Amino acid sequence: MNIYVINGPNINLLGTREPEIYGNETLETIAENCQKQASKAGHVVQFMQSNYEGKLVEYIQDAIKNAIDVIIINAAAYTHTSIAIHDALKSYSGFKIELHISNPHIRESFRHETFVAPAADAVVAGLGADGYGHVIGLLTDLQKHYMQKK
Amino acid sequence: MSNNRLLIINGPGLSDLSNYNETAHDGLTLAAVQKKCAQACESYGLEMDFRQNDDEAELLSGLIEDINNFDAFIINPAGRSQTSSVDLEIYSSVINEIGSQDKPVVEVRIENIFKEGNNKPLHGPEGRLGFVGGFGMYSYVLAIQSIDKKLRNK
Repeated sequence: MNIYVINGPNINLLGTREPEIYGNETLETIAENCQKQASKAGHVVQFMQSNYEGKLVEYIQDAIKNAIDVIIINAAAYTHTSIAIHDALKSYSGFKIELHISNPHIRESFRHETFVAPAADAVVAGLGADGYGHVIGLLTDLQKHYMQKK
Repeated sequence: MSNNRLLIINGPGLSDLSNYNETAHDGLTLAAVQKKCAQACESYGLEMDFRQNDDEAELLSGLIEDINNFDAFIINPAGRSQTSSVDLEIYSSVINEIGSQDKPVVEVRIENIFKEGNNKPLHGPEGRLGFVGGFGMYSYVLAIQSIDKKLRNK
């Protein structure tokens, strides 16, 4: 399977940004772990990050154009504001997973609304940086037994 | 001391998954979910107790009594009435207690509850409560995988 892992604003600061919430792993170590999990299962991961909303929309449009099988998207703060990302995800017909390192629903109330989750198939939050690898490790089983039912 | 006891609790309505219209439930039974969880737990060396109760009060009082008997928790609150702030508060106090003991707890949903629009996730202390939803019975598998990793890192 071809997988896009799309990361939003401030995720490039991981490791130094509020480690008590986001942990000590950096974007690089998360990317490495994603690649490791993916190659174990024979998947190809493209790992991307941008601080710009429009760029995240373009990544999703690229996924549509290139018929990518799965999007894992951590839209970070744009999760709670971006109708543009919501609309782009709606146009993508592959399996799409919203992911957050922390659990936004138990943080400040301005993080409780999500525009990404209603456009996604599934949601993972609060499992830490390990969440990325856990999801990628599960994709083979999901493809065999679950995704086609969606 | 052992650090591998996982309690999985399933709330009202989950005894009969055919009640749900979501495609995520297509042909799925709670027995199949339990079997999948048992397989996953066995592969990680976790001891699993899997419960379902249509009576929210009974379910929660059982959970409260058992907090000290388990090392990690998966909660699918399922039919927790969206109108019951009392139930939500009881869940929150249980999750607070689990969190204060530094034990992992993950809310699991078979479907993506955010598609419905009016379905709210559980509350708990920041940094203590995970959430997985929308992967069918694999939501549980993902939560079990995460819990195994967390218990190993402790």
